[in-house]
Amino acid sequence: MDEYTIQVLSNIGMFSFLALSAYLLLMTGEISFGQQAFFAIGAYASGIVTAMWGWGLGLGILCGALVAAAAAFLLAWPTLRLRGLYFAIGTLAFAEMVRLLFEIFSYQIEIDGELVGPNGSDGFRGVRYVFENDISNFQYMLLIYGLLAAVLAGFFLIGRSRLGAIFRMLGEDELLAEMQGVNRTFYKVLATVLAGFIAGIGGALYIHLNTYVEPKIFNVMLGVHSLAYGLIGGLGTSLGPLLGVAIDIGLLESIRIFTGYRMIVFGGLVAVLLIVRPRGLLDEEVIYWLKYRMRRPLARTARRQADAAPSEAGDAQD
Amino acid sequence: MLRIEGLSRYFGGLQALADVDYSVEGEGVYGLIGPNGSGKTTLFNIVTGLYRPSAGRVTFEGEDISRRGPHRIVAMGIARTFQTPRIYARMTVRENLRAAQHTLARDVRLAGAGERIDALLEATGLADRRDELAKNLPLPEQRRLELARALAREPKLLLLDEPAGGMTPTETHEMARLIEEVAAPGRACIVIEHKMDMIAQLCADVCVLNFGAKIAEGAPDDVLNDPVVLEAYIGRNAGAA
Repeated sequence: MDEYTIQVLSNIGMFSFLALSAYLLLMTGEISFGQQAFFAIGAYASGIVTAMWGWGLGLGILCGALVAAAAAFLLAWPTLRLRGLYFAIGTLAFAEMVRLLFEIFSYQIEIDGELVGPNGSDGFRGVRYVFENDISNFQYMLLIYGLLAAVLAGFFLIGRSRLGAIFRMLGEDELLAEMQGVNRTFYKVLATVLAGFIAGIGGALYIHLNTYVEPKIFNVMLGVHSLAYGLIGGLGTSLGPLLGVAIDIGLLESIRIFTGYRMIVFGGLVAVLLIVRPRGLLDEEVIYWLKYRMRRPLARTARRQADAAPSEAGDAQD
Repeated sequence: MLRIEGLSRYFGGLQALADVDYSVEGEGVYGLIGPNGSGKTTLFNIVTGLYRPSAGRVTFEGEDISRRGPHRIVAMGIARTFQTPRIYARMTVRENLRAAQHTLARDVRLAGAGERIDALLEATGLADRRDELAKNLPLPEQRRLELARALAREPKLLLLDEPAGGMTPTETHEMARLIEEVAAPGRACIVIEHKMDMIAQLCADVCVLNFGAKIAEGAPDDVLNDPVVLEAYIGRNAGAA
């Protein structure tokens, strides 16, 4: 695999965490324009503990995710009473606050005669753990996809569990869910915290691959993208957001013919899809169709065989 | 079982409920009627915790529930349906019923919950539709789905908000039969309905609200012929004309 392909695949993998984070909230019926804040918090927190405090990469990623989850918990309380558009604006404001805080956040220490650490709008440079420990880009890509697979497995488990059903109930009709005994507050906070955790993993992976971040990376456009990934790819399955990322980064950003036109094509794609397929390519209807319509012919065949079996057995006895 | 004392509710300057006393004891079907805007649905919304009362108290099985959150109230054994059916449109019929059981206590959820769903689908005539997306059901079936879904929680008190709204006479008759045979046994049902034949057939007790105040309560034959009730529904000079 050449370096360019590895780089593109790594990017798809890392931004998939952000897309899944936004998707988890979409599942519960909330639109967040602020998941990039948790991506940023995850990046900074994990960078600080590995580059400045000398922790390992695994701990660094875990720490990034946990700090992002804690920040999500702090966001969840004041925004709990907000719904729909107001929640969306609240998350947007929060994300901008976080970005502007990183613009002035300076915390540097001297390591080997060199200043390391976040330095305001110059960003956080010198996160060289991956470089210093001779982890190749290919190995790092495997790490990204390993963690992504674990998160996806988590999504599939949740999807089959009571928790997933409750998230979907809230997503479809919050009031009805409450009337069926769902503690709305609890589950909304839980979803927000889980979403923060997932975005935090992505951010932690991002800073270590790039060795630096600047606050301006985590602007509103990143949040809009992370939301759009689910809306393009589809909200019927957790693979939907991944499809969205693959379309944007894999196709539009990485193929030469789209150079310079990425945002135009992407924006157009979002607009068209919101009209013709408001819940994305892999929406609930597609998943339903796959689940039931495809199963029926199989079930029919199975029944026919079952019906046929006893008479065949009878024939054999004659 | 359910006891409402001096219940009032204001929306701004509008008094939706005015000092209402009402109670339901023991199993059976109870009618709650009144012209549009008389406060019937508001009463349901207060009992289920969607609104807080402006004054007065609601107790269920001896516990004051007037200031409790909806999820805690319904956990005590109250279920409801809605005037405009509310369904999980992107779930199948069966998933809609499953959804109602997710917050039940663990032992109830595990002990025969699936069989109960199948039995309810059979009883409400939705067995053939079990794998259909709920949004594809016509209105009468959506109402039956709501009823089955409320029953999947095995509530002690069931609140039905116009269960036969928008239905033809045949469908209404079928709904009345379902309420009588499937919903009512073993629990108390309060039914809001404008179809008086159905109320007269189902209920032993009927309560009438008008402009938020209770104006009559008693056996259907008495209540439905009460001049005060007739006036509320038809107007003052109707008898003379």
